[in-house]
Amino acid sequence: MLKYVLKRVLAALITLFVLVSVVFFMVRVMPGEPFTSAKLTPAVAANMEKYYGFDKPLPVQYVQYIGKLLQGDFGYSMKYTNRTVNDIIGETFPFSADLGIRALVIAISFGLVLGIISALNRGNKIDFICVIIAIIGTSVPDFIMGAFLQYFFGIKWGLLPIAQYKGFEYTILPSVALAFFTLASVSRIMRSSMLEVVGQDYIKTAKAKGLSDLRIVGRHQIRNAIMPVITMLGPTVAAVLTGTFVIESIYAIPGMGKYYVESVSTNDYSMILGMTVFYGAFLIICNLIVDILYGIVDPRVRIATPVEDS
Amino acid sequence: MKKKLISLLLAGVLAFGLIGCGVYEQDGAAAAAGAADSQSAQAEGGEETAAEETGSTAASEKVFRYSETQAPTSLDPIKANCIEDNEVGHMTQECLVRNTAGNVEPGIAESWETSADGLTYTFHLRDALWSDGEPITANDFVYGLRRLMNPETASPYAFIGEYVKNGAAVEAGEKSVEELGISAPDDKTVVIELENNTPYFLSLIGSSCQFCPQRQDVVEKYGADYAATADKSIYSGPFVMVSSENQQYVFKKNENYWNAKMIKLDGAVLNVIPDQSTALAMYESGELDFVKLPTEQVANYDDVDHEYMNGNEDFIYINEDCDNKILKNKNFRLALNYGIDRNTYITLATNGVYAPCNALVMPLVSGAETTYGEEYKVESFPMDGDNELAKQYLETAMKEEGISDPKDIKVEITTTDVEASKIIAEVVQELWTQSLGITVTVRQVTYADIYGSVFPNGDYEVGYGGWGPDYSDPYTYLELFKSDCAYNYSNYKNDAVDKLLEDSKSETDVKKRMDMLNSAEKMLLDDGALVPLQLRQQHYLLNEKITGMNFFFCSINTDWTYAEYAE
Repeated sequence: MLKYVLKRVLAALITLFVLVSVVFFMVRVMPGEPFTSAKLTPAVAANMEKYYGFDKPLPVQYVQYIGKLLQGDFGYSMKYTNRTVNDIIGETFPFSADLGIRALVIAISFGLVLGIISALNRGNKIDFICVIIAIIGTSVPDFIMGAFLQYFFGIKWGLLPIAQYKGFEYTILPSVALAFFTLASVSRIMRSSMLEVVGQDYIKTAKAKGLSDLRIVGRHQIRNAIMPVITMLGPTVAAVLTGTFVIESIYAIPGMGKYYVESVSTNDYSMILGMTVFYGAFLIICNLIVDILYGIVDPRVRIATPVEDS
Repeated sequence: MKKKLISLLLAGVLAFGLIGCGVYEQDGAAAAAGAADSQSAQAEGGEETAAEETGSTAASEKVFRYSETQAPTSLDPIKANCIEDNEVGHMTQECLVRNTAGNVEPGIAESWETSADGLTYTFHLRDALWSDGEPITANDFVYGLRRLMNPETASPYAFIGEYVKNGAAVEAGEKSVEELGISAPDDKTVVIELENNTPYFLSLIGSSCQFCPQRQDVVEKYGADYAATADKSIYSGPFVMVSSENQQYVFKKNENYWNAKMIKLDGAVLNVIPDQSTALAMYESGELDFVKLPTEQVANYDDVDHEYMNGNEDFIYINEDCDNKILKNKNFRLALNYGIDRNTYITLATNGVYAPCNALVMPLVSGAETTYGEEYKVESFPMDGDNELAKQYLETAMKEEGISDPKDIKVEITTTDVEASKIIAEVVQELWTQSLGITVTVRQVTYADIYGSVFPNGDYEVGYGGWGPDYSDPYTYLELFKSDCAYNYSNYKNDAVDKLLEDSKSETDVKKRMDMLNSAEKMLLDDGALVPLQLRQQHYLLNEKITGMNFFFCSINTDWTYAEYAE
């Protein structure tokens, strides 16, 4: 087991290093410059380039960046000139993570329940309703869902606050809106996985042994069927927790999403890099945890070749 | 099994209720009213108790709540880089003079003299205090301006100080900051020498927070982190900022402000709301007092909205240096101008929200005595366009260039990938195709690309761009077509225009100078140097209880310094 974990950790570190290097050089070939304004004079541009160290050769900049990165320093933003990327992530990530955890809890609990109920009632009305919910969840984009919930619950009926993030009642609409897609995906995967497991030999054996339906479903069916959901959770957790531009924008939540998207359109090199590395590291850690969980839940995995990163 | 399910659900609900209780912020309005900041911390004891008492009744506090789609890029006034930054600087810092909607009022300077040649300004300072109670001295202004122009500061807006003697040389690192044309003969006198006669200088320094005083000890204490957050700065203006956390900027009245008796608000809260529809909904529900209307919503608020000109003018740049030879032909450029029905354009491109424009200088800027628009009627292309005349110019141009079929003339419009800019380019494409029969294509690049390389490198044929004025004078627009100007993105070179603009810098007679600028504008329009399109108008909604707001078309669009809440 230890060997398996060490292997995964090493792979994760290499992935992260490759990610940093590729992104570092890729942002430099993006069209445009980080300092863009209709009023930027060449003298000012030259001063700013020097300030951010862009006057040095690219390999030197790379080595310096890696050096700082090893100390956990992402550098100063180029758009928000006197704020560090660390500072901005430190301020915005808690909001994104808070929203994300709420959404995940809703999505996983309701998604699993929906998927299980749906599978157990395969083909009848209840299954039909659950499938409809899943289809709506996966096909309605979050900006529609967000605006829809905001309009009815916030504006029209005035039951919940329209926007911002200042207390429990403020969190309900955005977390539900954000949860919907994941909820639907979880329920779909859980349903099909449950149906797959139901035909397995060990279920037949369990039935033959005379176990009660409840025991079969609880002990054997769900436990085996949940594996694909765990696989999917790694990237989902990373994506949901590190900020979602659309929902954060509609509900004016001071999270990371806006900064990430904006940094790309304004060529804010240090912000793009910082956010990507942060997100990448987070994603890699989530996948690592999933891999290790896999090894614990399913011994076959650590004996055979390790599963690929999804 | 059922038990398991129920307990799972319960656990979920519990977790949902428990997690993350740490991130909620304090309500902005309450924070503005009741926060114990550096301000009240050093205020007298009596006031402290008063603040505590009112803390619970925050609703009675007069706090102006408004929103912006973008957070300020910097709270350091020296590094302010856009209208939003400058507005924050205008509220929290005080320059030598204060420009309120175009009127120059005394600021930290209570009086000033100008030399006969217009090159030297001597300011006499009043007794005024920083928000921490220290006196504001002439040296703070000297330090501030030197810091702005110092190449090591790398202020993105440093060019604004090029009017000051040796400004450009200091900025380029050719001269030391000590050689900058600003000095403090004593604690109460600031002398500024200018590079050229600049009649709009007072207006400029009154509306650009980059000219505010700076406290050397505070700046050096925080270094690169200076003004990273509200508490890492110090204030000289009508308001202090007590919090800049979580996309909410909280202002509180500065009791140490020299003119505090004129300030009626207790504070203000700037909420960053990226989505304009959300901001509008918050206004409707009474959570905001002021909101800018998105253009597509203007029609829904016909009776209740107000508007101001924000000074932004949009036009088509014609690159004189590109490979497309036909654009060098004056008659063709005029055909492009007469071939646009600007009223139709406005309806199609902006739902009629913006004002059509057929000149270069925005009419509201200062003229010799009143406004430029009142003093000079600029005759140019009819707003409705003139297809007959356009075709005549086109035919002449074709004859001169030896082209027989207008379809053979190909023009590419470069625009950004912003939806509104794309629509504008497409409307212009359609109007030119219809009126002139030429082949027009649209090319889209990112915003970072258009000002980062496309315009500066002259890598385009015609391009959609625009200009926001930095000061209220025709020169701010005309300069764009001066051959040695860094913003001359059309690579336009006209010796007569250059001469007029250069001579205007030394002309001390206000009327004569204005005549020269007007002649230059006429020349540019007669030459078809650009295709003017529109002047932007910002529509907004304002809480009826609020009076005393000021709106200005350059540098500071919304100025709530003197806003008042009716009881």
